[in-house]
Amino acid sequence: MKTGLFKWVDDRTGLEGIIKSQLTEYPVPKNLNYMWNFGSLALLVLVLQILTGIFLVMYYKPDASLTYGGYTVAFDSVERIMRDINFGWLIRYMHAVGASAFFVVVYMHIGRGLYYGSYKGPRELLWIIGVVILLIMQGAAFFGYLLPWGQMSFWGATVITNLFGAVPVLGEYLQQVLRGGFAVGDPTLNRFFSLHYLFPLLLAAIVGGHIHALHVVHSNNPDGVDIDHEKDTIPFHPYYTVKDAFGVGVFLLGYCYFVFFQPEAWGYFIEVDNFVPANNLQTPAHIAPVWYLTPWYTILRTFENKLLGVAMMGASLAILFVLPFLDRSKVRSARYRPVFRQMVILFFISVVVLGYCGHSAPTATLAIVGTIATCVYFGFFLLLPFVHKFEKTKPLPGGE
Amino acid sequence: MSDKADHSRRNFLYVAAGGLGAVAAGATAVPFIGSMLPAADTLAAAKTEFDTSTVVEGQLVVIQWQGKPVFVVNRTADMLERVKGHDDKLKDPNSEAGEEVQAEWMDSEDKRTFRAIKPEILIVVASCTHLGCIPLFKPTAGQKDWGDSVPSDWAGGWHCPCHGSYYDLSARVVKGSPAPQNLHVMSYEYKTDSIVVIG
Repeated sequence: MKTGLFKWVDDRTGLEGIIKSQLTEYPVPKNLNYMWNFGSLALLVLVLQILTGIFLVMYYKPDASLTYGGYTVAFDSVERIMRDINFGWLIRYMHAVGASAFFVVVYMHIGRGLYYGSYKGPRELLWIIGVVILLIMQGAAFFGYLLPWGQMSFWGATVITNLFGAVPVLGEYLQQVLRGGFAVGDPTLNRFFSLHYLFPLLLAAIVGGHIHALHVVHSNNPDGVDIDHEKDTIPFHPYYTVKDAFGVGVFLLGYCYFVFFQPEAWGYFIEVDNFVPANNLQTPAHIAPVWYLTPWYTILRTFENKLLGVAMMGASLAILFVLPFLDRSKVRSARYRPVFRQMVILFFISVVVLGYCGHSAPTATLAIVGTIATCVYFGFFLLLPFVHKFEKTKPLPGGE
Repeated sequence: MSDKADHSRRNFLYVAAGGLGAVAAGATAVPFIGSMLPAADTLAAAKTEFDTSTVVEGQLVVIQWQGKPVFVVNRTADMLERVKGHDDKLKDPNSEAGEEVQAEWMDSEDKRTFRAIKPEILIVVASCTHLGCIPLFKPTAGQKDWGDSVPSDWAGGWHCPCHGSYYDLSARVVKGSPAPQNLHVMSYEYKTDSIVVIG
C-alpha cells in the first residue's frame, strides 16, 4: 500500500526503510515478560508531563512577590489553576501525579535492568545514557516542586541548595549561583522555573539517544542470553505495540485512579505542608522530600559529617555510571546467578528501606536502620566485582 | 492452525481499535482546549458597575468593561440636537447592520437615534469597528477646533486617528469611513437613577 505521497516522502527521507527497521521489521526477543513494558510507559508519561506542563505554563506565574491576600503571586496562580481555570484541577493533578508515576515507572524500568543484567555488555552505554536520564529527571522534579511556592517547596529548596554549601572553598559561591541571593527567594523561583522548562527538553533529546542506542544493541531478555535474530525474535510491530498498548491500559487505570480520587496520595505525591504558602520565617515541623528522592536523602542523613553526607549521596548515584564495569560475570540474568540474585534482591530492599527512613521523621532507631540500609546499598556495588570468582552459575538455556 | 488470516475480521479490529483510540484522543483534547477558554474568575468579572452622575454635562469618560475601553458621554441638549438631521450621511442610521450595533433595549425610534436608554447618557464600546483603535472625541461642530482633520460640515462626534473613520455624536459611522459598523453597544441597565450595570 504505497500512495503517491508516501513514495514522494520516502524518496526524500527513506521513511519506508525507517519504518521497517524501527517498527515492522525491528527484531525483539519473543520471550520478554511484562517487566519490559516500563520503557514504553516511561515514554508515555514523559509526553503527558510535557503536554500538561505546557498548558499549566499558560496560567502559572513564577513570582514570589506578595499579594494583598497575604499570599504570593506564584501560590495564588496555582490556586487559580485549581479553582478558576476550566479543567485546571485536572491538568495540574495529571502533572503532579504524573511526576510520581514517572518515577514509579522508571524505577521499575531500572530495577528490571539490574535484575536481568541489561546493563552488561554490549548495553553499557545504553545503561549510562539511562543514568543520565535519571539524574535529569530528579533535577526536573526538584525544580518543579519549588514552583507552587508552598512551605515544602520553599524549605525543600532551602535544604537542597544548602547541600552545595558543604562543598569546600566554592560552597558559598555555588549556593549563591543557585539561589541568586542569600536565601531562597524570587530569583530562585524564576531560575528554577526556567530550568524546569529546560530539563524536559534535554530529557526528550536524551531519551531519543537512549532509544537509538537500544535499537543498535537490541533488547535484552529475561534469560539474559544472546539471541538468534532469525529464530528467537518477532517484529516489534504488531506484537509488542499491542503488548505495550495493553500495558498502557493497565497503567492508565492506576494513574486515573490517583488523578481523580487520590491526587495527593495521602501526602506522598503532594505533601500536606505544601498547601500552606511559603513562609521564610517558619520551618514546618517535619521536612522530607517527595517519596522518589527519599532513599538518597537518607544516605545524606546517615553521615554525621555534612560534606561526607553530600559526597556519599552524590556517590550513591554516580556509582550507577560504573556499574557495567563493576560486574565481571559473563552471565547476565539473575535467573542463572544464585548469589547475584540474592544480592540484587537485598539491594532492592535496601532502597525501599532507605526510602521509608527518608520519609519518616528522624529517630534513633531509624538512624540505625538507615545506616544498615546504606551499608547494604554500597555493599552491593563493592561486592559486585568479586562475585564471579566464587559464584556457580546455572546452565543457560540453548547450551550457551 | 491455518495459514490464512481472516482479513475481514482483522480489518474490523483495526478500525474498531483505531476508532476507539481516536475517540479517546478527542476526549483527552477536551479539557486541554477547554483550559484555554476564559476562566471562571475572568467570566465573573464580565459585569461592570458605574455611577453616571460622576460624568458632568458635555464630558466624556473612558471606563473598562471586560478589559475593553468603554465611552460614557453625558451629552448636552445641544449635542443631542446635532445627532439629528444627517441620517443620509450615515452608513447605518438605525443600527440594524449587525448584532453588535444593537441591544435589546433599543425598542423605540428615539432609542435607536440616540443609541441610549437615557438619551443624554451614551455608553458605547470605545473600539473603532475598523481595526480597534480608540477614536478621538471631537464634540464641537465645524472645523474651528479641529482644523481640516474633520470635514467642513462636521456636526461633532469621533474621529479615528488610525485610518480616519468618522462617527457622529451617537457613535454612528459616517459614509466614506473605512469602519464598517457603528461603535458597538452592549446590554446594560440602571440599578438606581444614576448607577448603571454594564454587561
